[in-house]
Amino acid sequence: MSEFEPNIVAFLCNWCSYAGADLAGTSRIEYPPNVKAIRVMCSGRINPMFIVNALQEGADGVLIGGCHPGDCHYSQGNYYARRKFQIMRKILEYLGIDPARVRMSWVSASEGQKFADVISEVIGDVKKIGPAKNINRI
Amino acid sequence: MADLAKMRNEIKKIVQRDDVKYVIGYEKGTYGWRVSPSFARTPEEVDKFIFSPLCVNNLAVYLVLEEKLPLPKGVEEEKKKIGIVVTGCDSRSVVQLLQEKAISRDDVVILGVPCSGVVEPKKMKEMFGKEIGTVAIEDKGEKYVIVIDGKRREVLKEELVSENCKTCEYQNPVISDILIGDEIKEKKKESYSKVRELEEKSTQERWDYWKEKFERCIRCYACRNCCPVCNCKECMAEKTTPVWIRRSVSLSENAGFHIMRSLHTAGRCIGCGSCERVCPMNIPLSKLYKKVEKDVIELFDYRAGLDEEEKPLLSVYSVDDSNEYIL
Repeated sequence: MSEFEPNIVAFLCNWCSYAGADLAGTSRIEYPPNVKAIRVMCSGRINPMFIVNALQEGADGVLIGGCHPGDCHYSQGNYYARRKFQIMRKILEYLGIDPARVRMSWVSASEGQKFADVISEVIGDVKKIGPAKNINRI
Repeated sequence: MADLAKMRNEIKKIVQRDDVKYVIGYEKGTYGWRVSPSFARTPEEVDKFIFSPLCVNNLAVYLVLEEKLPLPKGVEEEKKKIGIVVTGCDSRSVVQLLQEKAISRDDVVILGVPCSGVVEPKKMKEMFGKEIGTVAIEDKGEKYVIVIDGKRREVLKEELVSENCKTCEYQNPVISDILIGDEIKEKKKESYSKVRELEEKSTQERWDYWKEKFERCIRCYACRNCCPVCNCKECMAEKTTPVWIRRSVSLSENAGFHIMRSLHTAGRCIGCGSCERVCPMNIPLSKLYKKVEKDVIELFDYRAGLDEEEKPLLSVYSVDDSNEYIL
């Protein structure tokens, strides 16, 4: 059997992480192809139900990308997101869903290399814990 | 517990006021020892009010349940106050509603009653079998004196009292216009021992535990409907554009619903335990919401329902929030 290739859904903020991912592409930096990027206007816009729905629909891991603290295009969206997902990770952990499946990262528009590194790290972690089966829709 | 005659007297005074529409309290329910909420518009109706350890309903939910129909043009809304009888935890729900501007302070008259714990109906049912006849119950410190159909019986409080009441830190109402009865001096401490016990297990064990519970859920939404802080006019669980949670009752959708609700009540749940009490499938919901409460205290030093001027937890942020989980 071939090695498990995880499905990662990345919610990237329009102003930093998405541009960072774009830069990684234009700079021809190689990173694993398991990630599906979804562009949102701000990390603060991401509803925790997005993550739940992603996990239900077969994602093995979710990455949330936002601007660095203080750099948010809307000045504070990423701070709200940080609070929200900190609580959410604790809840998921308590319910027995590995919190390594829900990660958050600050990637700025100039950090193409960092984006590639973050993706590799998330994929490495999810590979270790295996496919997510807990709350999959059948 | 407060003296009943004195309590009725106080409530009568409130009902008679011109600016008060009605007072919400408790009356004897239809069957056996059950207690149901009661709404008194006249002093005569106050005479059926009761107060005993069997009064478990969180009445704060009725402050936001009243349907307000659209008014014809030029007709002013009748501004009248609603009186409400609250115990410690219910008073925190009222504060939470005030904080979220679901109600305004001028619209309520709060009658606080210090509470030394309420009886858990599920335990009552277990102890006395199916629904029984007339019951009088009295709180005697360590024991409950229960009179069933004339027969007297003493039961240790430990065996009957609600789990959340055992570790309740706010037995006295945190907000009240009129306080009926004496304040309780005794202080209890919440140690979250049950939450910690589950936290120490492995990820797989925790999932097995909750999987069994969530599979049982029939999604009757009783937990949501009885919750004082779950007062959205439109609930995400029922939205169809888009569908966040499908209608089917399956492990996946049930888990999604409970994750959603625990997040929605994060920093708002005041731990009255109503949701667990009404659950027909005996899902230990308090164990989930207590965990969130514990985390919120540990991470942000925030306690829900204590200060009506405080900003809700998730609508503020601090630049010093922890970065530990961020890559």
